Order: sequence, then C-alpha cells, then structure tokens
Amino acid sequence: MYNKNVYKYDEMKRKEHMAVRESVGWYYWTHQLLEVSGADAAAFLDRLYACPVGNLRVGRERYTTMLNEEAEIIDDVVIFRIEEEKFWVSTLFLKKLVRWMDAHREGFEVSYEDVTPKFDMYAVQGPRSKDLVNRLVETPVDDLKFFSFAENKVDGVPVVVNRAGFSGEKLGYEIYIAPEKGEMLEEKLGKEAEALGGAQVTDFQVMAWTLPTEKGFYYMRDLMHTNPLEVGLDKGIGWEKEFIGKEALLKIKEKGIRNIMVGFTMEEADVRINGKDLGGPGTPVLKDGEEVGRVSKCNYSYVLDKVIGYIYAKAGTVSEGDVVTIRGAEANICGTVFVP
Amino acid sequence: MSRKIDERIPNTVGKGTYPDYPAVATPWGKLISYQEAARHSQRNIAVYSAALMQVYRILIPTYEERAELICRFSYDRMYATFSSPIGKMVGIDNNNVHPFMAGSFPGSLNGDSGDEALYMPGRVNDFGTYRCEKELDACPWDIIGTELCRATTTSLMGVSDGEAVHKKAGPRLDFHMVEARGAGDMHCRIVAENREKYPMPEHKMWESMGPIATSDMIKYTPEEDMVTDPQYFREESGYKFCNGTCAEYDAASWYRPNGSAGGAGYFWPLFDMLVKKGRINEEDLDRAVHCVMEAAGKAQFGGWYAVEGVRSWLGVPAEMKDGRVMGGFLEVYLACQGVPVEVEAFNKDEVILRIDRAALDQRMPKQSPAYVAYWYGMTKTLVSAEYALWEEPEGDAEKVLRVKIAKKIDKFC
Repeated sequence: MYNKNVYKYDEMKRKEHMAVRESVGWYYWTHQLLEVSGADAAAFLDRLYACPVGNLRVGRERYTTMLNEEAEIIDDVVIFRIEEEKFWVSTLFLKKLVRWMDAHREGFEVSYEDVTPKFDMYAVQGPRSKDLVNRLVETPVDDLKFFSFAENKVDGVPVVVNRAGFSGEKLGYEIYIAPEKGEMLEEKLGKEAEALGGAQVTDFQVMAWTLPTEKGFYYMRDLMHTNPLEVGLDKGIGWEKEFIGKEALLKIKEKGIRNIMVGFTMEEADVRINGKDLGGPGTPVLKDGEEVGRVSKCNYSYVLDKVIGYIYAKAGTVSEGDVVTIRGAEANICGTVFVP
Repeated sequence: MSRKIDERIPNTVGKGTYPDYPAVATPWGKLISYQEAARHSQRNIAVYSAALMQVYRILIPTYEERAELICRFSYDRMYATFSSPIGKMVGIDNNNVHPFMAGSFPGSLNGDSGDEALYMPGRVNDFGTYRCEKELDACPWDIIGTELCRATTTSLMGVSDGEAVHKKAGPRLDFHMVEARGAGDMHCRIVAENREKYPMPEHKMWESMGPIATSDMIKYTPEEDMVTDPQYFREESGYKFCNGTCAEYDAASWYRPNGSAGGAGYFWPLFDMLVKKGRINEEDLDRAVHCVMEAAGKAQFGGWYAVEGVRSWLGVPAEMKDGRVMGGFLEVYLACQGVPVEVEAFNKDEVILRIDRAALDQRMPKQSPAYVAYWYGMTKTLVSAEYALWEEPEGDAEKVLRVKIAKKIDKFC
C-alpha cells in the first residue's frame, strides 16, 4: 500500500497542532532580522514595500509584501518600528533582501545590519499563550495589543515580547531573547506549558504548514510569481505613496488579474499530491478534463480532519463550490481560510 | 487533427552559459543544444564512472567490504565538508534554509537541488522534521553500480549531519535509498526517517537501501506521470528550478555542477585513501585504471553503427576519416562537460588539443591519465587502429593536458 497520508495518521503532529488550537504550543521560530536605520529609513522602506511603513508608531509592526518592478511578490515580511529612525525587518530571505536594498538605496540616508545572530525567537501560540507568557515575564503582557511589542524580562534576562504569530491564533506571542539564554527560556517554556496542558511544537510541517494553512496564511513559496491582487494581499497597500511595482500593479488592477489563489478541501486523504511547497511546479488541477491550475500547497487540517490546500488557478475557471479533480481525487473549491 | 503544441524548450534556455547562443558548436557547424549538452555530459560522466567502478571491483573483490568502504568514506567526506563554513554557504544559503529549521532534515534540500543539477529529475514527496522523501524518475548514473547508489545515500546523510552543525540541534534522520534505478527499479527513492519516531533495527553504514518504517507513506509516481527533464528544462516550471524554500535557479546558473567529476568524484579520493592506508597498491591501481579505461574507450565505438551515429551527430564530412573525427568529438565532449579546451592543430595529419587540466581533474590528478587511456581506446575504434591519442606535454604541463591524435605505430600497445 502506498500514499498513506503523512499528516492524518500522525498522532505526534496532531498533538502538536491541537496544543496550539486548544491550549498553548511553543516552538523555536527564529527568523532573520535586518535592522534598518537612518534619517531616511522610513522613506526607504516605504519605497521598497507595498504597505505604508512611515506611519507606523514606535512599538508597532506591520505585515507587507515587497514587489519587483513587474509587481510580482518577491518577499513578505513583518516590519517593526523600534525607534523613530530604526526598524527591524523580519524575513526568511535576508541575503536576497540585502541585494535588493543595495540596488535601491541610492539617494537615501540609510544603513542596515543583519542582527539575526543577536536574537533567537520563540513562538508561544494558542488560547492559553497569554497565561504562559505571564508565568515567565516580569511585567504582565495583558495590555499588549496585536502587532505591538515591548521590552520585558524573563528571570532577569532582557527579552522583547511581540504579540503576533503565524498560527492564526487570536492570542499568540513571540519572545526575542539572546541566543545564549535560549536554553533557560526553553526550560521554562516546557515546564509552564506542561502545567497548562500545552506542548512543544517540534515538527516543521506543523509550525510552517498545517497551523498557518488552516487560517489562510501564506508561506512565501505560495506567493512566488504572484501579485498581491491575485492572492488577496492588496488590503492595506499604500496606493497613495510611491513603491516599487506600483505602476505594474495599477495596470494589472485596471486590466484584471490572470490568476487567482483559491482554497480546496478533499475527503480522500491517501492521495499523491505535491504542492509547490515541496518544490517544483505543483500537481495539475483539472476541471472538466482541462487543466485550470496547480496545487500551491497541500497539507491537512487537524481541526476539520481533512486534506486542505491552495490552488493557483487561472482566473475565471473556478469558483467556490466547484468540484475539481487532483490526481483522480475530487476536491471542493473554497476560500483560503479554512478555520476562521 | 490535434492542435496541441507539445512542450518545447526555448532556445534561450541556458543563455549566458555559452556566448551568443546557448549551444555547443561542433567543428563542422552543428549546434548541440544546451539541453542535449547537459544530458550528454551527465551520461558521459556516468559511463566513465561505471568503468571506474570496475576498477574498484577488481581491487576490492567482496561487495560488502567495497560498499562499506565507499559508504563510510563518502559520509565522512561530506560531513567534514558541510560541517565546515562551506556547508553554511553551499547548504544553508544556497538552499534558503530557514533559521528555525532545526536538526538534519534541511540537509535533504541539497539532495533535491543537486539531483536537478545532475539531470536526475523527480520530486520531493515529503519534507518534514522527522521524515523526508525524494523520488527520481531518471538517473544518468543508473549504470554505475549499486555500491555507488548506496554511497550517494550515505553521502547525503553526511551532508545533512554536517550542515546540522550550523543549526539548532534537533532530530537526526537516517537516509535510505529504498528504490534505485541502478538496481533495476523504475525510480530512485530516498526516504529519510528519524529513528526515535520511526524505530528500526540498527544497520551497518552500507545497508543504506532499507528497509524503512514508513514504506506505506511512499508516494509512488506511475510511469505516465514521470518526467524526463529537470525543472529548468520544463515549461510547467517556468524553465526554473525552485525548491520549497524559494531557492530558484535557471539552466545557465546550474551548469557549473556539470563538471567532469560526477560519479567519479566518489572513487578517486577513495582510491587515494585506500592507497594511503595500504589496503590497495598504487601500482595495481594505476594498471587497473589504464587497462579498464582503455578497454572502456574501445568498447564505445566497436560497432560501425556507433561510429556512424557519432559522425552524424557531429556533422563530420563523409570523406573525413582521420584524427580530426576524434579531435572534434573530444572538443564537443569537453565543451559539454564545461572543460575549457584550445585547438593547437586540427588537420588531416594531426590534431593537438590543449585541455585545462584543473577543470578536467577537479583536484583529482589521476583523472587526466585515466581520461587519456579512455580517449586512446576511443580513438582506436572511432578512427582506426592506425591512429592513437597520447599526451605530449610542453612546458606548461601542470596547467595544460596537451593531447595529440595522429597515426602511430607501437609494437607494444
């Protein structure tokens, strides 16, 4: 027998996933951090990113895409305003980002430094995440708003606590700490999580794929060679400002998109489907025998207990409620948020 | 009538690899496309490597010892390389390994990108902290021998373990090639499993072809869905290779791995180590290499059809039956492998080629004499027994392998 679903029957993944949904899960979630400073730092970032950055208040952060001149998404990041003239850009593609910044920095008084080695980051996600964080920190995080961050201490060690996450949970935090203190934090997280009925998330597939997919979050591989209009990331774009890719994006807006990202669910679990998240072009999706798109990602919802994923489809070929075929199995087209 | 247009490879694929047009030109004006050159290069290296495997089999007669030696050595070499700063640059940066990926599983991305570069197309079927699976539909190395299939597996495990040194500690994976085209299977399939999650009995290093614990999770691609070319030659991939962590490369940027080492790169350092340890004798090694490579070269054009085939492929004029045929073939052979070559003489009496020795040797100095024996053998059957190919060094022999093709009488050849 082949094709046994790598998620459905895996109790370890299920336990880690459901800890986040039902209680609290914590995991090592370090990203790359580029510190951008200077008198023109805000203007520079406003030029590079589609969403406004200059109007961020200190202590707040924003998710935004970065586009090339053709309006293709080349990165999606979270930008933190640390000080008036100092920002952190949280990315997974720092080398590429630095090359892009180097190519566009002319005329801006700005400098940037890779500060990744200074910080490890731990995600604490789930309905009991606030309880867990409050058991660790000196100053309770009760008043911390979504997408804001503040300095704090754990066992006398300075940390930055950020209320955000990639799990889609309404309550979730990220704790930035010096790497040499990570072990101390892990020990405390493990102990306190257990007391709250939580667990450590150890599997990459859970932290990066199953948790975010249920909630409609994109992994950068989904976004490559797409534009914000196709994938529904146009909300919050700073149309009133100038940014790289704006002109092309406006043309696309005027002419209409050629592709669209949609969600799908599938009752059959033991199927042979490869999303682009595994690399490569993705498995073809057929409707009435014609190829209408490719699977962008395919994993599993432990909440719905079924296969879920995204399809990057030709615009106008599929709509919610349609039935398509992927490797002979029927899939139902839906939105990209599976568990609201 | 079908109006379907089959997938085609645009003539711009590989642009930048060769000037003007991404193709190798033969001395008679035929263009060998970049795609064909890449494929040809990989198969050539595999044929040469298959001959080297026979050398290894002569010198180490028992399968188990041979397999264990090459598997252990390949693991150790790759571990040493990837645990050094090279591993961070080649493994982590080039594959866009994310900082939060702990343990050895991200190392399998090297296998994915490396397979594509070596014209071994297929797909990743699973990529997680505790299990990874890669399936190949084609493998130019499938004629070399199963000892090498096993060693490529332990080599990837060495890469992954070595690379993990640069990352946060996490679960370690045990790699197995549970199917191998080199063993007659339809696919090559590597499944890597974490033994704490998926326990299996201990095994020796060479026992790297399974069994595994998760054979029921295998995604088996049937023949009708198999691919023949890497992503960077496929329209459906936008003529680019792209892994799951957004590392994207086009055909031109992937040419460098198509050097002249390939499968042979597993053997020469191993032979060197075995000589140093006294397990084999250097004289025996050199004699075996010379004999096997010369015979392998002669076998390439034993039949008239093979000679006719290669002449047609190169566009050799019908009346030309001298050393230029081998000279032209060798030029193309080397160009396909990305080895620089200059033509010093090219006429009916003699052909002299000046080959970049470093590019040919790839830091394995016994490659040059092995290739000379191999090409000598080819000359005998592709041209005629009246002709020979030999090294005729000048003052710059350290840098240039200067080979001559001409008529030669040798009563001891």
